[in-house]
Amino acid sequence: MQESTAVRRDPMTAATARAQSRVGRFAEVGLPASGVLIGVLLVLGPFLATVIRSLLYWDRDQVSLSLQNFVGLFGDPRFYQAVGNTVICGAGATICSCLLGFSLAWIVSRTDLPGRRWFEIFNLVPFFLSPYVGAVSWIYLAAPHSGVLSRLLNQYLGLPDDFIRIYSLGGVIWVLSLFYTPYVYLFVIAPMRQMDAALEDAARVHGASFWYTLRRITIPLLTPALLSSALIVFVTSAGLFDVPLALAAPKGIRTMPTEIFQLVQYPSDLGRAASFGVVVMIVTVLFTILQRRYIDRRRFETVTGKGYRPRLVQLRRGGRFAAWMLEFVYLGSGVVLPLIALFMVSFSRLWTGRLDPSVLTTHNFEYVLFGFKLTQTAILNSVYLAIVGATIGVALAVLQGYYLNRGSRRRRALVDSLLSLPLGIPGIILGLGFLIIAIRTPLYSTLAIILIAYIARFFPFATRTVSSMLLAINPELEQSARASGASWLQTMRYILLPLLMPAIIAAWLLLFVIFIRELGATILLYGQGTETISVALVILSEHSAATMTALAVVQLILLLGAFMLFRLTRASLLQA
Amino acid sequence: MEQDAFVSIRNLTKRFGEHVAVNDISLNVAEGHTLALLGPSGCGKTTILRCLAGLETPDSGHISLAGNVVFDHNARVNLMPEQRELGIVFQSYAVWPHMSVSENVGFPLKVRGVAKAEYDDRVARILNIVGLGAWRDKGATQLSGGQQQRVALARALVHQPRLVLFDEPMSNLDTQLRDQVRMELNILQAKLGFTAIYVTHDQAEAFSLAETVVVMNLGRIETSGPPRDVFHRPRTPFVARFLGLNVCEGKLVQANATAGGQVEVAFGESLRLRGLSGDEQKLTAGAPVLVCVRKEHIGIRKLAPGAIPQGLSGEIRAASFLGLNEEYVVALEGVELRAVQPASGLRAGDRVEVSIRPEDCIVFLAGQNRLD
Repeated sequence: MQESTAVRRDPMTAATARAQSRVGRFAEVGLPASGVLIGVLLVLGPFLATVIRSLLYWDRDQVSLSLQNFVGLFGDPRFYQAVGNTVICGAGATICSCLLGFSLAWIVSRTDLPGRRWFEIFNLVPFFLSPYVGAVSWIYLAAPHSGVLSRLLNQYLGLPDDFIRIYSLGGVIWVLSLFYTPYVYLFVIAPMRQMDAALEDAARVHGASFWYTLRRITIPLLTPALLSSALIVFVTSAGLFDVPLALAAPKGIRTMPTEIFQLVQYPSDLGRAASFGVVVMIVTVLFTILQRRYIDRRRFETVTGKGYRPRLVQLRRGGRFAAWMLEFVYLGSGVVLPLIALFMVSFSRLWTGRLDPSVLTTHNFEYVLFGFKLTQTAILNSVYLAIVGATIGVALAVLQGYYLNRGSRRRRALVDSLLSLPLGIPGIILGLGFLIIAIRTPLYSTLAIILIAYIARFFPFATRTVSSMLLAINPELEQSARASGASWLQTMRYILLPLLMPAIIAAWLLLFVIFIRELGATILLYGQGTETISVALVILSEHSAATMTALAVVQLILLLGAFMLFRLTRASLLQA
Repeated sequence: MEQDAFVSIRNLTKRFGEHVAVNDISLNVAEGHTLALLGPSGCGKTTILRCLAGLETPDSGHISLAGNVVFDHNARVNLMPEQRELGIVFQSYAVWPHMSVSENVGFPLKVRGVAKAEYDDRVARILNIVGLGAWRDKGATQLSGGQQQRVALARALVHQPRLVLFDEPMSNLDTQLRDQVRMELNILQAKLGFTAIYVTHDQAEAFSLAETVVVMNLGRIETSGPPRDVFHRPRTPFVARFLGLNVCEGKLVQANATAGGQVEVAFGESLRLRGLSGDEQKLTAGAPVLVCVRKEHIGIRKLAPGAIPQGLSGEIRAASFLGLNEEYVVALEGVELRAVQPASGLRAGDRVEVSIRPEDCIVFLAGQNRLD
């Protein structure tokens, strides 16, 4: 070592060094900032478009700036019906999925229930399924006269044929609850696991019963997680277009998303739709702010990772039976029964509501994959959108995450709240915003505008995933690379990106799943040749159950494939 | 002096919002020299280090390394960390968890495009020097704290930078390992001849490693000099307190005839001590002063019951066992002093005779220092 010389870069003049330093700083500051800028444009674009459009009123050919659209909206009884029904659906779904999600999380993480490791995985499966397909499967299961379950109940228990009444607000709430339970489950299970057992043990030692401890200690400690997941579930389930489209619209039950969809259909009233959109946006943003405030305030007083892990509750026979029943009912209704219905219909030549082995066929799949232009295009479009969209979304997320965790502290809070605005905004509202932007431009009904809308609506999920992992990476790891002589880009490539890889994979798969099944935004933006799988499902639902379910199975395979990759790469959904 | 300084910091100021972390500091370090920045947490020492490395942008001032200007507020020069050609060892070691030991260590060579043969050669040699030759292909996170510290050290030295920065490099090691690493660092530095700047809050570390110790407080330099000077003659009450001396408030009874001469200080009703003035200026009688005495310089002897003390008399309030030595809290007419001396089996409540030599007491005018 002594005899060798130092390793240095070629000496350069002070001027070159300075010039290089300027270029370097540009990459270091400019790249993350451009990621943020694109994000902000993606958020503000449709927002502003919707607001402006809501203030423009067409009277024959005369356009004026007025509140006429809002006057029309607030004077329409259908508006109040739609809002009322939507609030009922959202509240119902929130209550049910909180109860279910909390119980399932508790069973899996805090009891010694045999098989809990399997349940832990399978409880998440509905998270990966398409709510629209779920709703349609429940039609096959429970529609009056033709539903498999309705028929069995009628046959063996003598219940009336329309006992289940799937075409109703109750039906909507039921299917929404099945799909939103994993959200609550994910939110609650981490703090439940990390909770310091001493907090509960202290209560028991000082004389509290099990139930009293659960009520007065455990649940209050988990309230922040529970409440913040409840707010998210309320906002997102109320804004979901898929389920009301399948279960409420056929009976003429108005909800917010279906009503906006109606307003855009011929003869369209974009002004009215935009004003409805503005109202929904305001309410959603208020809820999002509420949720963020609440989390910010409560984050540090909840539970710590220190102390020792909670003991597992030993279930007695009754408890074990009840826990199993709950798991079976949930997984049965959320996964097994819908999948059975889907497979039965998709393998039948003609669906009559009864499984007839003599008409079993794979013809539907051959047709969907090789014979039918619409489904072929739809599959290609969806895969293209999901792969390209997830890649762009994750790239944006990395840049934004970097800005939020490593960039200048001053603007962080503002940027963070701006970038998370779309989190709760219903897809159909954002789709409306992009429709207003794209209409009468070459972008109209192209894949490009759908892609932009997907990224705009969902990049915050990826940003959150990446950001939470970045938070855990000590900046000194990057700083020592810089001090060792690596440029910012080299530091990204050799240090930060490899360390972030689990979050990057998790975020990519999450976006892939979301994009494969997205419907709310697409339904307003697609045109001929730019149909996606979900859009094709809606189109086919009116014509051919067999073709439709076969396509749904194809979509299911894509979604479950992503789920398997999730398990394989050990990417954690909790990061999302 | 300015010309041959290897590291030169002039009028460096760094604020974080309202808080002034580094307040108009100037420092020079000669080539091959070792400097320690010593001070309590929050005194600005780490900020200086980070400004040197280019990880923090100062608000004003000038930094040059090896004759090259790396930061100058007025000339708008601010080189990026990777352009400054240095090495750094962080408190957390910052060993990259996704790389092996040799990948970690070889990183500075890799980004400089060193050829494979030389790369392997250098990595092998530096790993042998730090005693990790057998660990080269291990994952970096499989190592113990001490080994990770060596990886960080090897990484900071492998490209032979002329300046190496150490940010509390030993605070995560246990005491035994710390002594060992300290020795090894001394040997390494003599061998490789790099200039080193340490940041530490541990005085033993600073005194044993550095040729110059800079004591900092609230973003300013409190004192600087060779370790022996800083240690033996604290320049300010803050330094005295930081080094663990007893610091007691009293009133000057008799002014000194000459600067630095002997003065007499009164505590309470009857206690009087003589000491040397630590301030440059003359002290006036009646002024409030602070008297600083090293714990080891307070002699205590047990009084037999009924015996009449020759000098000062006091009472043991508490005793704690330190191994070869024992530390006592002695109450002297309302003034509590801490004394360390070879274990003598004294207990709380024992009456003792206390002796303090005037040349061991340093007297400062109170109220001058920001932390008094």
